[in-house]
Amino acid sequence: MADEATTIEVRPGLPGDRGRAASGRARALRRIFRTSKGLVGGTLVALVVVVGVLGPVVIPHHLATQIDVLHRLAPPSAAHPLGTDQLGRDELVRMLLGARTSLYVGVLAVALSVVIGLPLGLIGGYFGGWADLVLMRIVDAIISFPVLLLALTISAVLGPNLTNATLSIGIVYAPYLARIARSEVLKVSAMPYVEAARASGAGHVWIMLRTVLPNIVPPVIVQSTISMAFAILAEAALSFLGLGTQPPTPSWGLMIQAARDYLDIAPWTALVPGAAIALSVLGLNMLGDALRDALDPSFVMEQARRAEG
Amino acid sequence: MLSYILKRLLLLVLTLWIVLTVTFLLTNVVPGNVAVMILGTRSNPETLAALEQRLGLNDPLPVQYVRWLGKTVSGRWGDSLRFDQPIGALVRQKLVTSSVLVVMALIIAVVASIPLGVIAARRQNRWQDTATSGVALVGISLPDFFWGILFILVFSRWLRWLPSSGSVDPGQDLVQSLRHALLPALALGVGLMAHLTRMTRSAMLETLSKDYVRVSRAKGLAERKVTYKHALRNAVGPVLTVAGLQLGYLFGGVIVVESLFNYTGLGWLTYQALLNRDVPLIQASVLVIAAIFMLSNLIVDLLYRALDPRIEYG
Repeated sequence: MADEATTIEVRPGLPGDRGRAASGRARALRRIFRTSKGLVGGTLVALVVVVGVLGPVVIPHHLATQIDVLHRLAPPSAAHPLGTDQLGRDELVRMLLGARTSLYVGVLAVALSVVIGLPLGLIGGYFGGWADLVLMRIVDAIISFPVLLLALTISAVLGPNLTNATLSIGIVYAPYLARIARSEVLKVSAMPYVEAARASGAGHVWIMLRTVLPNIVPPVIVQSTISMAFAILAEAALSFLGLGTQPPTPSWGLMIQAARDYLDIAPWTALVPGAAIALSVLGLNMLGDALRDALDPSFVMEQARRAEG
Repeated sequence: MLSYILKRLLLLVLTLWIVLTVTFLLTNVVPGNVAVMILGTRSNPETLAALEQRLGLNDPLPVQYVRWLGKTVSGRWGDSLRFDQPIGALVRQKLVTSSVLVVMALIIAVVASIPLGVIAARRQNRWQDTATSGVALVGISLPDFFWGILFILVFSRWLRWLPSSGSVDPGQDLVQSLRHALLPALALGVGLMAHLTRMTRSAMLETLSKDYVRVSRAKGLAERKVTYKHALRNAVGPVLTVAGLQLGYLFGGVIVVESLFNYTGLGWLTYQALLNRDVPLIQASVLVIAAIFMLSNLIVDLLYRALDPRIEYG
């Protein structure tokens, strides 16, 4: 009892029924996996994560790099279920190991864009005024560059490799996160509980971090999931153009680039990495859709309203 | 309306200035200067010093910035290091080639997506809907270069219908020019087509549930007429807006697709500039693409506001 009283006192911004809010969130998460979109998307994403994390541990490295000229561009067989590439390397092994590169870029690039974008959106949306105006002009200007063009340019200028590709993709998506965070902060700041926190004398930093931030997390998670799909596509495009991951690191984009010259005789060398990209991006898109439906009650209500007409 | 346009133009100038500054910083503050980029890291120090002097790289950065800004704004873009040609003429010529491709992709996407979206909405939750939505989801999940490879494989290698590489100037031979643009335009348009199909479907579902649609059904109009005359007309506006907005997005996508098909437009030019570290050409082509992107957004926004009087001018 005493515990609860202090909770209310110390957290001026929370409505007080923390328990109910938490169970609501848990219910939302369960709801995600009850929809077919959430289930399929979640499964695909889990698969990519497991392969990306465990693949390099379980698969002996020499299998991915072993060159076997006698069996180059071999069609799928018992020894090589998905065939071999132009150097006789096993396509299945290279595809599985490529998951790590995509996962690495996807997670780190999105983390970077959250680290850059979230504080900017939080500060701009919370304080408004000049800070907001300047921040949003810069955000608008960066969004004026087509995403891939900017990522390619940054990566080319920094020197193409996996780290710089990740950096450039992270930088490019940061303004999008800042924009989403800002508009959510504007919505949340108008809520009575923020006003209550202000009236109870809480400082700006406290209100931003303890009252506003927790309430903008759901849309940020949704945007991050969708950004991760884009980050994987962007890494593939950068590597495909030779301005991303460099050989011999296995990368789906690089595999497709190599396959270009052997399309006639070995189409599987392009189809295997293409399918891998498609499945992981599809998974993230579906999971993002399902997350949005589950985490954003206003969106669901809107849909229900529309369905009722 | 006029004051709104003026305000938007002012904002455009401001944004363009920030874009210019970002481009300058991007190509100047990074380790290794333009001279090193041109000559490579293991070049002769004397040659390097001479080139640095010639390019004015020994001046303080703010001086370089102001000089560069003045030159860029007044249109003196200099010569490309890679192609040894004036950049202005080069960019103008490639812009025409790319426009053929982009407009074609936009037409393909719009023409294919609207009927698909309408069918999906009219047959909501039946197999036509599931199939269309599934195809659309796959469409947005595959990168455009992968579609490009599939199209090369099917239409160029197996069926031998279309060329898979190169481009022809539309002024020289229009038919050949269009034939060369068709496969890259398909690859470029698939993603947009999928996106627009999803939009048409949801916009149609929304309008089909509106009162005036119910009224026209109640007074006994044929379902065809209700769908196409009453619902589609109202649903198609936002879809076309998005399509217009995507014109800039398509220009962003040309880099990958044009490189894949060796289609020598603006995207191919940018890629060559990036590969060869042709800094003046990188700056010019990045700026041109960003400017097209911004302008097309502005024009679509203004058109949309002019067409829909309900929107207020903020």
